[in-house]
Amino acid sequence: MNLVLAYIPFLTPMPVWGYWPVLLFPLCAIVAIVYKSIKCSTMSQVPREATALFIWILIGMATAAAILVGVVKVMERV
Amino acid sequence: MPANDANPPAPLVALAGWLVPGAGYFLIGHRTRALVVGVSVIFLFVLGMLIAGVGVVEAPALGGAGTLVGRILAKPWFLGQVMTGPIGLICAMISQGVSDTYPAARSRLGEIGTLYTAVAGMLNLLAIIDASHRAATK
Repeated sequence: MNLVLAYIPFLTPMPVWGYWPVLLFPLCAIVAIVYKSIKCSTMSQVPREATALFIWILIGMATAAAILVGVVKVMERV
Repeated sequence: MPANDANPPAPLVALAGWLVPGAGYFLIGHRTRALVVGVSVIFLFVLGMLIAGVGVVEAPALGGAGTLVGRILAKPWFLGQVMTGPIGLICAMISQGVSDTYPAARSRLGEIGTLYTAVAGMLNLLAIIDASHRAATK
């Protein structure tokens, strides 16, 4: 509670240490939106294409995380 | 969104896109694209600073020991951050002013904030290149 009260926007870090992985979602969403806004010939295609890309990015991130966890587990045993 | 009849030169479109994210598209008549790209880039940059504080936008020192290239490479994220345009430069100035009282976050949140602000700039660079290419090939 004190950490939340001590938060000064734009000056101190946001008190989200406990759930920082959630911060992946806005980053991936905006990357997908901007990338598809650049790539698509018409803007009417962007919502569908950006949603698909957003899901693929999340799948890719989850896969990479799972592989890295596996590598760490293997290295811990060695 | 169809382009209008205005045909500004590509360098002007690139400059406008750097000064105000999305403005390059606006100049060539792609208004919806301009709005979506501009709002997204600025939102991502501001969100990065909200997460970690303005201290994550650190400009390399122009004077001091070592070569200029070496000093720039010591803070490579700024190359991405500065691509958001004057907003990046202004935030770097503010960051320098408050760095004694509120130093940049060095935790994981600091890394996330740096990533957000640098990715915002890199996305704006993509938009600048695309808008100026569209202007040149129109």
